[in-house]
Amino acid sequence: MIISRLKEFDEILQLLTEKNIFVIGCGKCAKKQHTGGEPEVIDLKDKLKAAGKNITGWTVLSSACSINSWDDVLAQNPAIKISGALLVMSCGGGVSVISRYAGMSVYPALDTESLGGVCCNEIVTQLCGMCGDCTIWQYGGICPITQCSKGLLNGPCGGAVEGKCEVDERLCAWDKIFERLKELGKLQNLEMIHGPKDHTKKFRGKKV
Amino acid sequence: MSFISTLRSGKFIITAEISPPKGTDTSRLNRDADLLKGKVDAINVTDNQRAVMRMSPLAACGLIQGKGIETIMHITCRDRNRLALQSDLLGANAIGLRNVLVMSGDHPVKGDHEGAKPVYDVDSIQLLGILRKLNEGFDLADNELVGRTNLCVGAVTNTELNEAGLIKFKKKIQMGASFFQTQAVFDVKSFSGFMEKVNGIRSKNIKIIAGIIPLKSQRSAQFLNKVPGIKIPEDIVREMKDSKDPEAQGMEIAVQIIEEIRPLCDGIHIMPVGNHENTKTILEMADLL
Repeated sequence: MIISRLKEFDEILQLLTEKNIFVIGCGKCAKKQHTGGEPEVIDLKDKLKAAGKNITGWTVLSSACSINSWDDVLAQNPAIKISGALLVMSCGGGVSVISRYAGMSVYPALDTESLGGVCCNEIVTQLCGMCGDCTIWQYGGICPITQCSKGLLNGPCGGAVEGKCEVDERLCAWDKIFERLKELGKLQNLEMIHGPKDHTKKFRGKKV
Repeated sequence: MSFISTLRSGKFIITAEISPPKGTDTSRLNRDADLLKGKVDAINVTDNQRAVMRMSPLAACGLIQGKGIETIMHITCRDRNRLALQSDLLGANAIGLRNVLVMSGDHPVKGDHEGAKPVYDVDSIQLLGILRKLNEGFDLADNELVGRTNLCVGAVTNTELNEAGLIKFKKKIQMGASFFQTQAVFDVKSFSGFMEKVNGIRSKNIKIIAGIIPLKSQRSAQFLNKVPGIKIPEDIVREMKDSKDPEAQGMEIAVQIIEEIRPLCDGIHIMPVGNHENTKTILEMADLL
């Protein structure tokens, strides 16, 4: 799941130079996180109306990043044609897809934060750094690239105080990795020396 | 005697730390270096420490080295990717620097350019690996160098290490660290425990140089107590609070710690809060000059 958060209303209002706005939500990740489902779309639309914008219409696509065709979206939402701009309440993936095909001004209402997950209504953030070279098994299933604020691959820095990361309130990823590997009986993994990441894998795929 | 020869000689090592200036005025840097000349085996020069932007340690080391004082250049993984790190190391070697101290580096959010991109393209273990290769005459991509580096490489450690930290310490030795400079020591008993742990891992030629911060006031003690890796026992904080001359008290405490840890480790590293006005006196009081 892509983790996103709603921008401040004033920031959204400043983005929108056009008067006639059509609002698009997303029925997947943004809906689950309550950042771009129906209630959030309606709430934002009402606020924009109150702030003087003309809302031409709104919809929640089943998935903003995965649409059959723009023609389909237009057929179901003809008000888009009389709009000056689209305001999209989805992750950057959805905003990009819509920008690519809509042929009109598209603005994001959300900020995309990380790749995370959800289970039993618990939303977990920063689970994967999308590095193109997954070695998460070596770390007991906890990705050090995103869970460690410095993305260190070979063990903790000296910055944690009483188990807390020097950056924010999060727990030191390396304590979690240690505990998980201990549970799995694989503490020997910590002894591995990991070389620097090959960042070409993120863009070009694996070398053949 | 070069720092590497000092490491090998078995002499009790004395180093001291200087921060480059925030700006181009090098008068305080020069003054501190002059105060330390002939008193220490090498001067450490920090690399944007606490993620606060300052003059490059490469330039500052060059200035200090010009006075005939050997330096230990700090190099963090925070600000440069693998290309920039390697090119700085080649440059350091070319201007005559002989020692570097490798560390991850405090995260940018801790400093004065909070929004800076944290680089960490490599971590300290990988940077040690890079240094090993450069010393062998190759870069990280296995290209042959025209002229290899000849750098003595150290690493840093906290003195309270959990199991994961201890494994990383071991990896640093594996990757070629020949000396360690520690975070400031205030609790001798806990330091002794740390030495016991690492003595089980290191050979005698891997040197442990203990960090010493002479306290200046009760406030400095309270501030330092929040710094990762530093724990000041309550009785020391109280002594600072009750003292009529906290600066002198801080020096006495530093001397006492030096005397107690001297038999346990291979050297000390003095990191004063502020300038090196008192470093010579501390070394004299501890019978190290």
